Amino acid sequence: VRALPELFDVRIKARSIAYLFATGAMLGLLTLAVPHMSEVNDLALALLATAAIVIAAIVWLSGDRIREWHIHAVLVCGTVIVSLANYYAGASTLYPVLYMWAALYAFYFFRPPEALAHMAFVAISYAVVLAIQDPESAIVRWLLAVGTPLVAGLLISRLLRRLSDRAQQLEQSEARTRMVLDTAPDAFITLDSDGVIMSWNAAAQRLFGWSAAEAIGKTMRALIVPPEFRERHDERRRALIASESPLATERFEVEFQRRDGGRFPGEATVSKVDIQGEVFVSGFITDVTERARRQAEREALLREQAARAEAERVAELVAGMQALVDAALAHRTLEGILNELVTQVRGVLDADAATIYLADESERLTVGASAPGDIPGGDEFASTVAGAREAMLAPGDSDSARGALVGVPLLAEGEVMGVLVACATPPRQFGGEDLTLLRLAAERVGLAIAHARVYEREHRIAETLQRSLLPDRLPSLPGLDVAARYLPAASEAEVGGDWYDVIPIAGGAVGLVMGDVAGKGLAGASMVGRLRSALRAYALEGPGGARVVEQLNRLLWTEREESQMATMLYVVVDPAAGAVHWVNAGHPPPLMIAHGEPLFLEGASSVPLGVLPFPTYEEVSARMEPGSTLLLYTDGLVERPGENIDHGMAQLAARVREAPEDPDGLCDHLLATLVPAGGATDDVALLTLRNLPVPDRFSAEFPAEPESLAPMRSMLRRWLSHAGAGELEIAEITTACGEAATNAIEHAGVSGGSRFEVSGSRNGSEVQIAVRDHGSWREQRAGDHGRGLDLMRTLMDTVAVEPSPEGTTVSLRRRLGGNGGPG
Amino acid sequence: MHDLVQVQIEQRDGDDVIVARLTGELDISGAKSTGQRIAEAVPSSARGVVVDMSELEFIDSSGVSMLFELARRVGSRRQELRVVAPDGKPVARVLEIVEFDRAAPVHADLDSAVAEIS
Repeated sequence: VRALPELFDVRIKARSIAYLFATGAMLGLLTLAVPHMSEVNDLALALLATAAIVIAAIVWLSGDRIREWHIHAVLVCGTVIVSLANYYAGASTLYPVLYMWAALYAFYFFRPPEALAHMAFVAISYAVVLAIQDPESAIVRWLLAVGTPLVAGLLISRLLRRLSDRAQQLEQSEARTRMVLDTAPDAFITLDSDGVIMSWNAAAQRLFGWSAAEAIGKTMRALIVPPEFRERHDERRRALIASESPLATERFEVEFQRRDGGRFPGEATVSKVDIQGEVFVSGFITDVTERARRQAEREALLREQAARAEAERVAELVAGMQALVDAALAHRTLEGILNELVTQVRGVLDADAATIYLADESERLTVGASAPGDIPGGDEFASTVAGAREAMLAPGDSDSARGALVGVPLLAEGEVMGVLVACATPPRQFGGEDLTLLRLAAERVGLAIAHARVYEREHRIAETLQRSLLPDRLPSLPGLDVAARYLPAASEAEVGGDWYDVIPIAGGAVGLVMGDVAGKGLAGASMVGRLRSALRAYALEGPGGARVVEQLNRLLWTEREESQMATMLYVVVDPAAGAVHWVNAGHPPPLMIAHGEPLFLEGASSVPLGVLPFPTYEEVSARMEPGSTLLLYTDGLVERPGENIDHGMAQLAARVREAPEDPDGLCDHLLATLVPAGGATDDVALLTLRNLPVPDRFSAEFPAEPESLAPMRSMLRRWLSHAGAGELEIAEITTACGEAATNAIEHAGVSGGSRFEVSGSRNGSEVQIAVRDHGSWREQRAGDHGRGLDLMRTLMDTVAVEPSPEGTTVSLRRRLGGNGGPG
Repeated sequence: MHDLVQVQIEQRDGDDVIVARLTGELDISGAKSTGQRIAEAVPSSARGVVVDMSELEFIDSSGVSMLFELARRVGSRRQELRVVAPDGKPVARVLEIVEFDRAAPVHADLDSAVAEIS
C-alpha cells in the first residue's frame, strides 16, 4: 500500500495516464485488425489511435516538468478521443469500456470533486455520441453507459480513501513513536538476539557520540561496553533472552563507554521483547553521573555534619571550661579564684578531687586549694609535672587502688606558678580530651595567679595609703553626731579613689565631703591626698560652697596630664540656721532622712571635677530640721555590676527606713545589708551626720582651753535658734556667753581646773545661760579685760557672778523678742 | 586643729596701704597670732593699715583687745589704722559697744577706708 502523498505524486499520474492512452490506442488498432462491421470508419480510428499514442509519448517523456493541470487536460483529451472513436466505430462497439477507464482513472487519482467533473464530462460526451448515433436506444443503455462508471468510480474512490487513511495512521503512529524515542531524554536501543543494534535514538547519539547510522548494525558490546564488562554483558543478555517470561525486565547500573573513550555510570532498564517468535532486547540507558555525584555529595554532607557536630561538641566543652575559668577569675581574691577553680575543674572533668598547688619563691609546692580534699600522692605527681613543665597523665590502677591522675603546670611568663592536679577512681581514666581541657584552664589560671599576686601586693599598699588619707578621728561637733565608714573593694588593685572628710567651719557650720576619684590604686590614692588638703584649705577660707568646688576643679583641670577626674559632693550643714547647702559635682545625691523618711537631695548636679575648664557649680539649700540625718555615700554602695543605679538607690532608701536612727547604727546597718557577702566590687564610703534634736534645757562640759570656744558657740547657736532667738539675738547672746567662757578658761589656767560647764534653759520668753568653772573668780581689771564684762552687761539683761569655793558661776539672762538688743 | 580665723594680706596703692582681710571667727584662740601677723605685714614705709572684717563671723573681747593693741602699735609708728565692719553685723555691734571708734575709725566698706588713708 502506497502512502497517500505518493498516491497523488504527479509523476505517477503522468506515467499511468500514458499507459492508459497507449492501452486505449492498442484497443482501437486491435478493432481495426480483427474483422469488423462496415460502418466502422477505419481511417478515423487509426488517426485517433495515433493521436493517443503521440499524447502518451509526450506525457511519458515530459517526466518531471509535468504539472497537475497538464494531467487534467490530457484526461479531457482522452475523453474527447474516446467519444470521437465511439462515433466513428458505430453504436455496436464496446468502446464504452474506454469511458469507464477514464472515469476510473479520474476517481483513482483525483479528489472526488475533480473526479466528478471528469465523470460529468464523460457522461455528456457519451450522451452526445449516443444521441447522434441512435436516438431511439433504450433508457437502460443510457443509464448503464453513464451510471456504471460513476458507481464504479465512487466505490473505488471510497476504497482508496480508506486504504490511504489507514496508511496515514500507520505512518503517523510510526512517526510519533520515532519522535517519542528521539526526543526521549534517555538513550533507547534495540538489539536483536545476537546483540546487534537495530535501533538507536537521538538521546543515544547524544549520550554515546555515535550517530544512528554508525551504530545500527554493530554489536552493542563492541560499541559502548567497556572491555572488562563485555563478558558480563553477554551473560546478562543471554540470560534475559532465555528467561521464561515473554516480558522480562531488568534494571542494573553499569559503566558505559563513550565514543571519545570517556566512561560514565549508567542505569540500564532492559526488556525482552518477543514479537511473533522473533526475540529482541530493548533498553533505556540513563546517565546517572549527576545522580551519583549528588549521592556522593549527600554522603559527604552527612560526614561533614557529623564532623561538625563533633567539633561543636568539643568547642562547647572548651567554651564551657573557659567560662568556668572566667567565672572563677571573677573572684576578687586569689583564694577565691583558686577555690572556685578546683570546684569547677572537678565538676567538668568528673573527677573525684582537684587540687591546685602553688609554687613559692623557692619553687616549693604547697596546696593552694583543694576540692573536696587533698589527693593522695598528688604532691609527688605535681612535682613531676612542675619539673617536666608540661601536662601529664598517670593511669590509675584498680588493684592497688591508685587513682588516675592528670596534671598541668600553671605557667606565667615562663615560670611555673603552680600545678593543677585532678584525680579519678578507676575504671575512670583520664584521656587526651581531659588533658586539652585542663591545659586550656591552666593557660588562663597561670596568668591570673601571677596578676593576683601583684594586685594583692599593690592593693595592700594602696589601702594603707588610702586609710592614711581618711580622717582617723572625726571631730566631735556639739549638737551633731557624725559617723563614717570606709570599706575598700574586695578586688585586687581596685582600692583607692573614695574619700570623705568632715571640716568644722566658722559660724558653727560643718563641711562634709564625699568624693570619688576616677583613678584607682596608688595614683587614685595620691590624687585623693591632693584634693583633700586643697579642699580643707579652700573650705576654711569662708562660705560659698560653689566657689570651693570651682577652685578644686581648677586644681584638677590644671593637672590634666594625669587625666584625672573626680565626682564630689560638698555639703555645708549649718545647724544653727537649720539649713543644709550642697554643691554636687557629678556625685550620687545626698540622702536626707527626716522623720524616718528618706529623701534624695537631687538638683544642681553638675559635671565631675576635671572634665571642663570652667564649669558652673551651683549651691542648693534645703531645710535641715533638728533630728534629721544626712547620709553621704559613694557609688560603691548603690552600684552593682549589671544593675541599674536607680535600683541601687531604691534599695538604699528601703534599707534606710528600717535602720536605727543613730549614725553609727545606720552605717553598720547599711553596710551589712547592701554590701554583698564576698565584699564590694568597688570602694564603699559612707558619712552620716545627725542634727541632734535640741532639748529645752541643755548642759555641756568642755575642756578649759581656747579651742573649746568655737564648738561651744556652735552648740549655743543651735540651741538658741531652737529656742526661738532671732539672728542678731543669737549673735549677741553667743558673744556674751563667749566672754563668760573665756573668763572660765582663764580661771582654769590659774587654778588648774580642767573643764567648764555650760547649761541653758528657757523660761517663757527668757533664756538663762550659766557658765560654771572650777576656778576662782578674779575681778576684771580695768582696761582690756574689763571689756568682757562690759560686753556681757551690754548684751544681756542681767549678768550675775556667783563665786564659791568650788568655782565661779556666771548667770546670764535675756528676754527674747524682736531683733534689737536690750540696749 | 585648724585655725578658726584666717588672715589674708593685700597691698593697695603700691605698698602704701596694707589691707588685712579677716575671715572666720576671732576669739582668744586666734587673737594674739592674728594681731602679730598683721603687725608684721605692715612695713614702716606704709602709710596705714585697713583691717577688713566684712567677712568675719564673730569677734569677742580678745579680738577687740587685739584691735586696740594694733591701733596703739600703728599709731606709735605714725601710721593710720582703719577697720571695716558693715552696719548691722555682729562684729559692728561689738565694736560699737566697746566704743572702738575712739581708737580708730570704723568704715562700712573697704573702698572708703582705703580712700581715707590715701
